[in-house]
Amino acid sequence: MTWIVQNLWLVPVLPILAAGISALAKQRNRLLAASLAIGSLALSFLLSLCAFAHVLSLSSQGLETRQVIDFRWFQFGGEWLKLGWMLDPLTAIMLVMVSFVGLLIFIFSVGYMEHDENFTRFFCFLSLFAGAMLGVVIANSLLLFFMCWEIVGLTSYLLIGFWYHKPEAAAAAKKAFIVTRIGDLGFFLGMVWLYAQTGTLLFYDHGAGCLEHSALAALVAHITTVGMAASTGIALLIFCGAAGKSGQVPLHVWLPDAMEGPTPVSALIHAATMVAAGVFLIARVYPLMSVHAGLAGPLVPTTALIVVAWVGAITAVFGALIAIAHYDIKRILAYSTISQLGYMMMGLGVGGVAVGMFHLITHAFFKSLLFLGAGSVIHGCGGEQDIRKMGGLRKSMPITFLAYTAGMLALCGFPLFFSGFWSKDAILDAANTWSVSKMPFYLGAFGALLTAFYMTRQVYYVFAGKSRLSENSSEAAHASHASATPHESPAVMTVPLVILAAFAVFLGLVGTPAWPWFQSFLDDQRATLNFAAFSGPGVASVMLASSLLVFLGLGLGWWFYGRRPIESADAPDAFGQLQPHIFSVLGHNFYVDALYGATIVRLNTGWSRVCDWLDRWVWNGAVQTVSHLVLAFAWIDNFFDANIVNAGFDEGCETVSRGGQLLALLQGGRVQSYLRTIGVALIALAVFLLWGATR
Amino acid sequence: MNATNYAQLFQFALPEVIVVVTALIALAVDLLFLRASSTRLRFTIAAILGSLGCAGAILRLLHSPEQASLLNGMLLANPLTHLVQIALLAVAISTLLISAGSTFTEHIGEFVLLILIATAGMMFLVGSQDLLVIFISLELLSLSLYILTAFDKSSAQSSEAALKYFLFGGMSAAFLLFGFSLLYGFSNSTSLPRIADAIHAAYASNPHLNPLLAIAIVTTVIGFGFKVAAFPFHFWAPDVYQGAPAPSAAFIASGSKVASFFIFFQVMVVGFAGAEGSARWLHFVPGWVAVLAIVAALSMVLGNLVAIVQSHVRRLLAYSAIAHAGYMLLALVAHTQQSLAALLYYVVTYALATLGAFGVVAIVEQRTGGDRLSDFDGLSRLSPVLSACMFIFLLSLAGIPPLAGFFGKFYLFVSVLDSGPGLLWLIVLAIAMSAVSLYYYLQVLKRIYVANPAAEVANASAQAATIRTPFLSQAGIILLAAGIVILGCAPHLLLEWIHAAIRASGI
Repeated sequence: MTWIVQNLWLVPVLPILAAGISALAKQRNRLLAASLAIGSLALSFLLSLCAFAHVLSLSSQGLETRQVIDFRWFQFGGEWLKLGWMLDPLTAIMLVMVSFVGLLIFIFSVGYMEHDENFTRFFCFLSLFAGAMLGVVIANSLLLFFMCWEIVGLTSYLLIGFWYHKPEAAAAAKKAFIVTRIGDLGFFLGMVWLYAQTGTLLFYDHGAGCLEHSALAALVAHITTVGMAASTGIALLIFCGAAGKSGQVPLHVWLPDAMEGPTPVSALIHAATMVAAGVFLIARVYPLMSVHAGLAGPLVPTTALIVVAWVGAITAVFGALIAIAHYDIKRILAYSTISQLGYMMMGLGVGGVAVGMFHLITHAFFKSLLFLGAGSVIHGCGGEQDIRKMGGLRKSMPITFLAYTAGMLALCGFPLFFSGFWSKDAILDAANTWSVSKMPFYLGAFGALLTAFYMTRQVYYVFAGKSRLSENSSEAAHASHASATPHESPAVMTVPLVILAAFAVFLGLVGTPAWPWFQSFLDDQRATLNFAAFSGPGVASVMLASSLLVFLGLGLGWWFYGRRPIESADAPDAFGQLQPHIFSVLGHNFYVDALYGATIVRLNTGWSRVCDWLDRWVWNGAVQTVSHLVLAFAWIDNFFDANIVNAGFDEGCETVSRGGQLLALLQGGRVQSYLRTIGVALIALAVFLLWGATR
Repeated sequence: MNATNYAQLFQFALPEVIVVVTALIALAVDLLFLRASSTRLRFTIAAILGSLGCAGAILRLLHSPEQASLLNGMLLANPLTHLVQIALLAVAISTLLISAGSTFTEHIGEFVLLILIATAGMMFLVGSQDLLVIFISLELLSLSLYILTAFDKSSAQSSEAALKYFLFGGMSAAFLLFGFSLLYGFSNSTSLPRIADAIHAAYASNPHLNPLLAIAIVTTVIGFGFKVAAFPFHFWAPDVYQGAPAPSAAFIASGSKVASFFIFFQVMVVGFAGAEGSARWLHFVPGWVAVLAIVAALSMVLGNLVAIVQSHVRRLLAYSAIAHAGYMLLALVAHTQQSLAALLYYVVTYALATLGAFGVVAIVEQRTGGDRLSDFDGLSRLSPVLSACMFIFLLSLAGIPPLAGFFGKFYLFVSVLDSGPGLLWLIVLAIAMSAVSLYYYLQVLKRIYVANPAAEVANASAQAATIRTPFLSQAGIILLAAGIVILGCAPHLLLEWIHAAIRASGI
């Protein structure tokens, strides 16, 4: 089975190849583009399953599960730059998740993008994205990781701005690219620092990698001038990149705007995979994040992890609060994603890799389900995204309704039967026992309450009551036919929904406290069935508390939005009526965007004006002067070559052509002067040498 | 001289023999069976035959013994010479592919024969450490090249260029021979290591540069400076690049460069060991390094500056060739193992890019009838593939990453800096001049991608499209472009081979 390790590179390369081929193929060939993208990703999925089975069999035999393959890329001075890929439980799980969710979303897109004229371009970008994301997952070198990470960022940019003729989409794409770039700058600096300190960017290299014991020990021992260990500094810089990609406060502003892209893109990139890449990055470099001086036990939190936990906890509540006050179905989900990413970061900070990754995996399934469900709703309503104008879709879109409800209950963490419950509970449980502070636990619990509340609100708005679609968009209905009556989506869209719904419900069962298979798989241990774990200290009480909070949130949602059906699209929000001020602040996203606009963006605009002025008048003048000087020299040189050296020959040439004797001409003119130059050179060089020698 | 074992000699020179026999076969096939066929078909068949012969020689080289030396170093074989010979054969194959489908001559068998004979000359040239064999092979190469330059009998430019080339070449050969005879008088031997011993002995008795040796150095530099087209021995290059048929010009600009630079390095480093002198900033010590540093600096400056004002692409390539010769001479100035490796990498990738650029120029000339910059207007809309290839070739010549030209320059400059202190001024000059060179390469690309095609050209090409670009030459050009991209993305493929060969040959 080691061939799967040898050939793991095929997993990302296949979709990238598909992207390349469809980029070169004829624009109109829709069938080819879709089947290439889906076929290549299906192959990648099969390979990922093989890889997963391989790791599983290794782990069940109790063997070392991490296998790396490194190769030399090119020589740089005396150093060889090495890249490589790896297969370990973390990689295997992410591979299966990314390729499986990606495959379902690809299939869904065939239906969703059916009427778009740039269908082939869409699949080309999607394939490129999938390949790059799989590359991120298997990379065994921070550099390779970074390169794939940047391609992922590029495709995100391309896909957010897919409908580039809409100004909002173009602006959103730019915003996403620039904001994540700010984080990436930190990441890059961290990478450079790491290379300077350890001389390698390979994660694991048979003892010489930067995440292995000797390098980590050196990093901890190295104290910088401000009294911080190098490992902490590097870890924090790398976390900047993760925070940018994963939409953590204060770099979260791009993610809601990114919803301008097509909905499958939101599902794949901005819910399930790319935004989770930041979380995955922290999980990948966890040895670096958690390393500390001395021989203290593994439970002592390091500075880096404390920062991660706090940022995560704040983001979790922040996103959930804003989600309450929005009306755009996708924006609500976007803020919910920000909030859930906060949970994952918090899980990594307080509980370790397994806790954060478990929520990442379950979230990938139920959030892509929710997004695809939202896509199905938008598709059915003819492009409408405002939840105030929907309503009553339960009857007209029954399959979507059921699947969406499953996703919603999983996101809320409905006790016992839904995956979100188990993964969120694991995070809360870990936060409860965190030695630094109880605050993240309270924040997380509050976030759970809010989550249940805003999701209930959304479901009531969209699916309950009667349809409000026709009353407000009557003019639009005239213009665009068929949009007035909501309709169920075709099977190519509903089947992926149903599959995802099944996973959203049952996936949690692999990580319950009683049978923590997932956690022990990541930690290389054997899982055992042990129902007594439920009665462990704190476990049951945390489970009970979070269940109560969920029920409370659902109840509040029902109280505000379900008790009386929402009559018209213009009716004010029930919660907004109760607390208009808070609602307005939340609706404006805590004014973060406005704050950035007034400070950073304005500063940047002013600075760019200054630079423009400098460029136009100072630098340009200097460059112009130099270029004119160079041109002048060139003309002088050419003049010399053409007139002094060649002139004699040309002169001769003219005489000769008059005489009509080319040979005579050649002999008489140019060659003489040529040969004379050799003679001059001989004398000059010989004099130079001899004079130097006798001096 | 003792009796030579002819069987041994034959086995030793088998690759060269294969090339020469192929040349004769190609000539015979062309003259006996194909008289009545169309020029294009004859060229295609002859090119394929020649390429097969070269491929056979490459196979033989890959399986020949690692180390051998016949007649006291007159003929030499080691992994390094094998490597260079393989590169030369590859260049010959590319030239033949590019020329397939040309229509400039009726004498196709002779053309292919001359290319192959020149190739054999180059192979002998790189495989020797003896002045006599070096000179004879150099003449074999040069004479073939003179004829190749004159091959377009319908063009006066071609004959004119050939005559100038011949006169200039004859003169510099005379200088070279004069230098060689001085060396023989100095050391009583034609073998490079023996000459080096004599130079050591001379320095031991007198710490200053011997005047006889100084003249020998200068004349040798003139002889080889002519071959590599360094200032001020470059005058033939613009005319020949302009006047010669495109495949001949491509061959002169690539294959002859590879062989000449390699043997130039050998002669200087092995033969003149001990008389290096120094080119350190403000610490000049007379010797061949000092002479070459001056020649290199002048070549870089003149080549790049004059190229800016050229209006013909071929002349532009000629002046850029002079500039590149200047860069490559830096490797001789550094004269370390590392710089030899960098030189070989540079010259091979440079040869690929130049061949490709000339291939594109040849096709454009067939369409528009000239090589003025304006003839390239809007090429990207007429043939996007060719334009993309030209884009790669020119940017590689300019040294833009990730193309091979960038790594060539990078390794070359690094090796010069590593070779010792005081050479920084040459590197600064070289980098500044590289920046200048970008300007004229981009001028061509601007024509290709930005300018609109002239109306009559567009019409003419619409008709010319029916006279398709010959498949073989297009395939050859695409292969060259792919090679440059691959060597740029994975330079170690070639570099590791070069390093291994240098280590194994113990130079």
